[in-house]
Amino acid sequence: MSRIWRSRELLVFLLLIALLLAVGLINPNFWRTRSLMHILNSSLILILVSIGEMFVILTRGIDVSVGAILGLSAVILGVALNAGVALPLAVLLALIVSVLAGMVNAVGVTFLRVPPIIMTLGTLGVYRGLMLIITGGSWIETIPTNIKFFANWHVLGVRFFIWVTLVIVILTTFLLRRFKKARYLYAVGDNEEGARLMDIPVKKTLFAAYTLAGLFAGIAAIIFVAQIGFVPMQAGNGQELRAIAADVLGGVNLAGGVGTPLSALVGAIFLTAVDSALVFLKVPGYWNNAVGGAILLAAVYLDYRVRMAVAAQQRQARAAVRKENNHLNPSTSEEQT
Amino acid sequence: MAKPVTQPPGRSSQSPNETPLVELKNIWKVFAGVPVLKGINLNLMPGEIHALLGGNGSGKSTTMKILSGLYVPERGEIFLGGEQKVFHSPNEAHKNGIYMVPQEPHIFPHLSVEENLLLGLDMDPRAARAQVKQLAKEIGFESSFSEEAGALSIANQQLLEIIRGLLRKAQILILDEPTSALTFREVENLFKRMRTLSQRGIGIFFISHRLNEVMTISHRISVLREGRIVLAEPTTEVNSEKLVRAMLPADAEMRDMKRKVRDPRDQITDEVVLAVKKLSSDAFQDVSFEVRAGEVVGLAGLVGAGRTEVAEAVVGLDPNARGDVIIKGKDTKKHDSRKSQSLGLVYVPEDRHAHGIFLELPSLYTMTATILDRLGRFLLSRKQEEAVGNDYRQQLSIKMSSLHQIAKTLSGGNQQKVVLAKALASKPDVIILDEPTRGVDASARQDVYHLIEQLAGQGVGILLISSELEEIVDLSDRILVMYQGRIIKETERAGASLQQVMAAAFGLQGEASL
Repeated sequence: MSRIWRSRELLVFLLLIALLLAVGLINPNFWRTRSLMHILNSSLILILVSIGEMFVILTRGIDVSVGAILGLSAVILGVALNAGVALPLAVLLALIVSVLAGMVNAVGVTFLRVPPIIMTLGTLGVYRGLMLIITGGSWIETIPTNIKFFANWHVLGVRFFIWVTLVIVILTTFLLRRFKKARYLYAVGDNEEGARLMDIPVKKTLFAAYTLAGLFAGIAAIIFVAQIGFVPMQAGNGQELRAIAADVLGGVNLAGGVGTPLSALVGAIFLTAVDSALVFLKVPGYWNNAVGGAILLAAVYLDYRVRMAVAAQQRQARAAVRKENNHLNPSTSEEQT
Repeated sequence: MAKPVTQPPGRSSQSPNETPLVELKNIWKVFAGVPVLKGINLNLMPGEIHALLGGNGSGKSTTMKILSGLYVPERGEIFLGGEQKVFHSPNEAHKNGIYMVPQEPHIFPHLSVEENLLLGLDMDPRAARAQVKQLAKEIGFESSFSEEAGALSIANQQLLEIIRGLLRKAQILILDEPTSALTFREVENLFKRMRTLSQRGIGIFFISHRLNEVMTISHRISVLREGRIVLAEPTTEVNSEKLVRAMLPADAEMRDMKRKVRDPRDQITDEVVLAVKKLSSDAFQDVSFEVRAGEVVGLAGLVGAGRTEVAEAVVGLDPNARGDVIIKGKDTKKHDSRKSQSLGLVYVPEDRHAHGIFLELPSLYTMTATILDRLGRFLLSRKQEEAVGNDYRQQLSIKMSSLHQIAKTLSGGNQQKVVLAKALASKPDVIILDEPTRGVDASARQDVYHLIEQLAGQGVGILLISSELEEIVDLSDRILVMYQGRIIKETERAGASLQQVMAAAFGLQGEASL
């Protein structure tokens, strides 16, 4: 569809390869397939949260509560499992809670017209608070092993959850391209006023975006519980910022209208790879946040500069039109009388 | 003059008993208690190109917004093929075959041309695609469908909008100043396409400020003034003088007579306080003029003629401006707004809410914002600040409960006076006033006029930008008229008539015959 963001995803992908190559040269252990698979496996949660976040950013919104929704869903899942609820039912319950949490954001943004950043900052606090209220502040441990089994289950030599995530990425990519109403997400973010005039249901589209962000955080929560095996109160903490960073890095435009699940995928893997690279480079773990933040800054700055350059280009093109107009047609009036 | 005009048929080929595509009857619209449309009667025949003319605020855009469902009228009826309708949204207007192409096309810049066209369309995609191809061919749209729409030229974005309308089976197209961003050739192409559409029986409302375009393309012309239709005739029956005269206020001649008796101001000295030489930028070319001490220079023109852009460039807010701005003999080479202010030039911008006033703060904070460094040695002296505030409060008769009344709670007129106080506090030698009476009530308006006279009397040079020609003609010692980014007329007070200024604003030069 668009050359610009295709090349952006490619660019990040090449950067990723370069990063892997560089780290591999310094520490050859890094190159073993096991550690590459390990990076992929530990980026699954971020990939899913980032895709959810992407729906919202596409509409020119922002959702900073997705990390909290992840945490809340994880708590629900943990509590349900510990209470003896059957696994499928507990998973369903966690997903329902995540969808409801997304819908609360959606209602606030679309019907109450609260600015997205305010609304989701508010619910970020509420959902984190709910986690503490439900658990009384203590971690949920002793989670039954049946869910942890899925984290280590290999299908055709590859972990089950990697397959799941891959299928989700392919499915959302396909739907975003071919499903008619998915196009509305892009349209609303690209030109909201135009979308309204084009008879596109803007509110329903926004509603869907925030709801989907909740759902994807919920799916991430299930993988989180399975992989980690317990639910700390910090579950999902800061995940929203990493998701935004991953999206922007992969080419999702914060001004709306541009981005694909592939953007989220590549961006998320890149950020996770940086974390792993720091480990392999024997950089102490407490550097991770600082490096991640710096990468985010660089990505957002780059994004901003690219947009400015495009805007300047369009402005110049328009000025050129006006100038040409004045040369060809120095005064439209003279032939009048 | 204000009585409703019955409309003669538009095209020569038209049969007399043909029903109009749409008919507006006695449409009234009121904004904030002020009627902006006072009984509009208008119709459009199949295949007719019907031009709408009028100065700023005459009501042509409002009328078209009512027709396209963006506004609902207070009174009046719309008949569509003989059937009465009310549109509450653009969506309803689309469903009834009315499509408006706005001045800035509403495209989705990051979606492809094809996606732009098919979006929101309730149609089988395959059939729609075939139809898009057919329409594109007919109308001569040659860009690739897979291209990003943002990369299209404005002309092609307009075509995209037109095809969008035709896909929705539009029988009535509204083109709102479609030519303002087009090159000469693109205008010709657009006209060719408009004729094709007209032959297919599609009716077009065409809004333009360019009289020659209107004369070239339209079958019929309606002129609006102050919310009324004051002229509606077949294009073959009118000429540009007649159109310009129709756009003038009813008492224009009387006012002109009165004005001519008045003497020029005697306080004008020969000292040039502001000289602008060959200033050019994106929106205007080759602008030169001078303002002398004690002189009021009026800058007239239609919205979009480039007046505000010139003012911003003169002050130094436009980094792309080329040319010289000389304030009291000192060249402001770097075009820096702080520097021009320290040289004694102040700009009072058009949009006071966005650029001129601290709405949430006490009014006094705005009044003294530019002179804080003079109030007290190290800490701010409250006493001195309030003294300055009271001074201007009295001088401009600003109505406020106290100097500390929050600015946004003042009336529009008093807010404008607060902004003026800020400008005056720095004791400028030149003031640029951009639409100083917009949104200001009648009595405050008189105060502003009085202030302008007073300032000129004190030897301040004033550049007055206004869309209200009466204001310009009444207050100015000299008048400059801009049209499409150029100053096309300069006239002394004695020689200025509303008619000439209006004619120039619409691009008619040197009309001795008027």
